Amino acid sequence: MFKLRRTMMYVPGNNPSMVKDAHIFGADTVMFDLEDSVALNEKDAARLLVYNALKRLDYEGTEIAVRINGLDTPYGREDLEAIVRVRPHIIRLPKAETSKDVRDIEAIIEEIEAKEGIPVGSIQLMAAVESARGVLNAREIAAASKRLVGIAIGAEDFVTDMQTTRSLDGMELLAARSQVLLAARNAGIYALDTVFSDVNNEEGFINEVKHIKQLGFDGKSVINPRQIDVVHRIYTPTPQEIHRSERILKASEEAARKGSGVVSLDGKMVDKPIIERAQRVLSLATAAGTYELEGGEAIAY
Amino acid sequence: MEIKGSAMAGTLESSDASIVVAPNADKGIVIDLISSVEKQFGEDIRRTVKQVLKELDVEDAIVKIQDRGALDCVIRARLQTAVLRAANGKSFDWEGQRHV
Amino acid sequence: MDYLGLTEYILTREDQKLRGAVGAFLQKQGLRLEEGVDYTYALVDGKELVATGSLEKNVIKCVAVRQDYQNMGLTNKVISQLVYAAHKGGKEHLFIYTKPGNLQIFTDLGFYKIMALADKVVLLENKRDGIRDFVRQIKQKACFEGRASAVVVNCNPFTLGHQYLIEQAAEESEFLYVLVVSEDKSVFPADVRLKLVQEGTDHLKNILVQETGSYLISSATFPSYFLKEESVAVSSHAALDLEIFANYFAPILNISRRYVGEEPYCSLTNVYNEKMKVILPSYGIVVREIPRREAVQQAISASWVRGLLKENRLEEVKALVPETTYRFLMTEEGRHIIDKLKGLRPML
Repeated sequence: MFKLRRTMMYVPGNNPSMVKDAHIFGADTVMFDLEDSVALNEKDAARLLVYNALKRLDYEGTEIAVRINGLDTPYGREDLEAIVRVRPHIIRLPKAETSKDVRDIEAIIEEIEAKEGIPVGSIQLMAAVESARGVLNAREIAAASKRLVGIAIGAEDFVTDMQTTRSLDGMELLAARSQVLLAARNAGIYALDTVFSDVNNEEGFINEVKHIKQLGFDGKSVINPRQIDVVHRIYTPTPQEIHRSERILKASEEAARKGSGVVSLDGKMVDKPIIERAQRVLSLATAAGTYELEGGEAIAY
Repeated sequence: MEIKGSAMAGTLESSDASIVVAPNADKGIVIDLISSVEKQFGEDIRRTVKQVLKELDVEDAIVKIQDRGALDCVIRARLQTAVLRAANGKSFDWEGQRHV
Repeated sequence: MDYLGLTEYILTREDQKLRGAVGAFLQKQGLRLEEGVDYTYALVDGKELVATGSLEKNVIKCVAVRQDYQNMGLTNKVISQLVYAAHKGGKEHLFIYTKPGNLQIFTDLGFYKIMALADKVVLLENKRDGIRDFVRQIKQKACFEGRASAVVVNCNPFTLGHQYLIEQAAEESEFLYVLVVSEDKSVFPADVRLKLVQEGTDHLKNILVQETGSYLISSATFPSYFLKEESVAVSSHAALDLEIFANYFAPILNISRRYVGEEPYCSLTNVYNEKMKVILPSYGIVVREIPRREAVQQAISASWVRGLLKENRLEEVKALVPETTYRFLMTEEGRHIIDKLKGLRPML
């Protein structure tokens, strides 16, 4: 079954009560942040807190990511020294500009893995592009390492770089989101959308989630537990979608059994992409727990 | 590690601990603990403190802890932070730790 | 849980807009942003201020959380930030000046009550038995067990008037504690004031000169004493200070009499003295007011001396201060202070 990454929840790395309970809200991935949510003079404290928490606490199987500081800051290298050793599933690199940024970080991770006897390659990577340059290089960045499982867009810094601001319809982000999606699909990795910071504007949030789902994103970063259910609801296929997908797959299996190359449903021809989409809908529904897969083939990256 | 000055880490927020580490002119380790769960967990907290100080090779220090219901790993993190700060920003020996 | 998404602000003196907002916010809570605060922290939800707290040297004050944001741990967040800031500034021994209603909150945060004035103010410190240990240390130095007297003086600088008051009190008492204000808000620094009192009373054998620490006439016990303008709070501040004296200093040091110089000039000190005559006797402590020693038919006061110094009339000063004080004024350090009084930049 493929891994759902509909929601990736940011958790400020220097807040013990948030760090200890991070997994209880049901986000698909929890991301402890050592970067922007931590004040400069608390970088040491946050690093040690996340380090000790990951060493000692049981997050009951929730996927754990840690966003480190960039290697161009005085904290990035030290963050890696600490975090690699406690083996989160994913290390997220902020503000990636070039594929070299990913390779540099990979080299250090590899070095530490080797030193500690951790199987090389076991820690995955995610990169966030947050500037015009990063977005333009998204294609190379997304393909820079076998460890990469996803690429994300960070909108706040990006719109500043573009000399504009964020709007509710997200027009200013359309080109960048599309570029990141193209890069992700080309590399066969996940595409994750940016945060929506006005926690109180639920309607605006719903619209944005629908929008990015329609664009093709696998999920969205969230900053508040309240946002999790909204995203999951929108990303869960409706009973109608499930029903239709089931029928498409049945028809496809039928055709395969008959040795027929042509799949048809209700007298209409069904193309290969439609079959793939139906498979995906059922995988998503299965992962979301609303559908029991029976021998169907799940899509995995 | 030598405690050169007084330093603080952590907060008084719930699930956290506020820890001050200072030099001890009289030598040895002095632990001053304030905790609402002192009766049940006071001994555990003291044991953790002593262990962390030992790991960091600290022989003389006054440690003042205000515990707000912090987990053991939080006490560890805050104490390590305070000690490193009090030792004039020495860095942590990541390599020398057991990573289990 | 803390997913409130509040924004933190640290106010600078220049940030007038936010200062105004904090001031207005405090006013709604029956408080005000006091003149002397040197660090203010605020939490903002969207555009609205929901919690704040300030630091004045080692005193936490002006702490308030909006009603509908209470019980969310914001007080802890504010206090943590202030404790942290104070610690960074080298201040570990902290006080909180607040309303009695908040006593429990701060007790839970590791602060200990020193004194409360019913429905007015309560003063707490973050050292268990801090004040008791402080007074006990004075007691140890005195090595005196009988009934003693006390006088609390600022001595900015030490004059013949102060010397006379102390001599009178010492003569009438078996033992006299001379407590010199430690708060460093006078032209003459605390260590200089203390030294001049010690030197100028060296001939008296039954006295002990000690500092008041943060516990008497300090920005913790008596904040309005150091404000330029006279505030309505003076009377309750004075009462707090005197209650502390009566409840800690007097019983531990076995003080049965407090001496005070008559105050013909300063109305604030006058309010303090009047309050003293009401409060201390209720604890069985006698208040003895000694008339000021006069020179050229004018009561000697430190402010008179400072005025003369300002005008460089050193010969006249010589007649008003003990020789020890005069000698200090002639040193480089002394001249430095005189220059400061004149408003001149000290010469390097």
